[in-house]
Amino acid sequence: MVAGLDITLAELPQWTCCGVAFPLAQDNYIGLVAAARILANAAKTGDGRLVTVCSFCYNVLKRVNYAIKNNPEAKEKLNNYLEESYQGETSVVHPLEVIRDEVGLKNLESKAGGRLKGLKVACYYGCMLVRPATEVALGDPENPVLMEELMAALGADPVDFPWKTKCCGSYQLLNASDLVADRVREIIDAAVARGAQAIVTSCPLCQFNLDWGQEKLVSQNGWPKIPVLYFAQLLGAALELPAEKLGFGQHYVDPRKILLREFS
Amino acid sequence: MDLSISLGITERVKEISGQNPFLCMQCGTCSASCTGIGKMDLLPRQILRKIQLGDPGVLQCSSIWVCTACLTCTVRCPRGIDIARLMEALRAINLRKGNEALVLEKVPSELIREVPQMALTSGFRKLSA
Repeated sequence: MVAGLDITLAELPQWTCCGVAFPLAQDNYIGLVAAARILANAAKTGDGRLVTVCSFCYNVLKRVNYAIKNNPEAKEKLNNYLEESYQGETSVVHPLEVIRDEVGLKNLESKAGGRLKGLKVACYYGCMLVRPATEVALGDPENPVLMEELMAALGADPVDFPWKTKCCGSYQLLNASDLVADRVREIIDAAVARGAQAIVTSCPLCQFNLDWGQEKLVSQNGWPKIPVLYFAQLLGAALELPAEKLGFGQHYVDPRKILLREFS
Repeated sequence: MDLSISLGITERVKEISGQNPFLCMQCGTCSASCTGIGKMDLLPRQILRKIQLGDPGVLQCSSIWVCTACLTCTVRCPRGIDIARLMEALRAINLRKGNEALVLEKVPSELIREVPQMALTSGFRKLSA
């Protein structure tokens, strides 16, 4: 996908797990170490930018970066522990931002040639890319529009719906799956009510919860299910990447019927 | 119900969260926005009140274990309280004593195989001791 957009990425050597959940306790910095180490390593390679496609990683890395830049005690303790002198210089970016700022939506529009042919997509952001706005913010925390702009550039017809930043239930899938079932039902119902044919997500866990959740948690007779896609899949399809690389066969709610109709 | 007022829990929560619970004016915006309210015994607003009153019973609520740390409460609080950090403080006090909600053995094995790794890592970090 990135090659199709003329972007070159370098793999960060010795990358590790960022920790996934930003620790909210203020009396202990050990939970920030993993992310701090990644940021410090990234500062020494490439052009100072760290791209991550995972929404949780994006959130943790940006929040730890913010803590290092704004909390002198955090910066001192983390640098002492890691034996680094990292000042917060790495810039954490999401592919959606790279597309908007480096590739340009007009440029993408000309490459994609309207290939998504008016597919009605409801863009669902979830939590981690938009909250808290002071530290993260891929856009307005209540009404981000970056995915809608991307979808429009690819020729799809973005459908606005009220739950685009409502939490899907996240890791409660493992502990209180009823909660996820309720959120999935609400989100899907809201998108369908606005005429969406598919949902496009920017978080892998949201994609799973909404997709697997429709099939395994909510299935009721007659309840309308719609396919849940990851933004990179639609981007790849619009750039005419080979279909077998886009994973359309791996969903629980099969997107291929709708996509075949739109693309054939 | 034990009504003995103690500032012990309030101070501990303030220390871990870095937040001042006495800013809360009980408007209920957090409760109205919360992802997990359907499964909570105490609403976020009620939890804030119990923290203000120093009720140590607040540590036993089920709410903190069905919180998804979605941060909606935090971004909408009109007093600027980072409510998610308060919920985390209550979890941290529990987890540091070994009280946990998520145990690997209880998660269905087919779910463990299917679910994205981030759910497991974040779930265990937030809910396991």
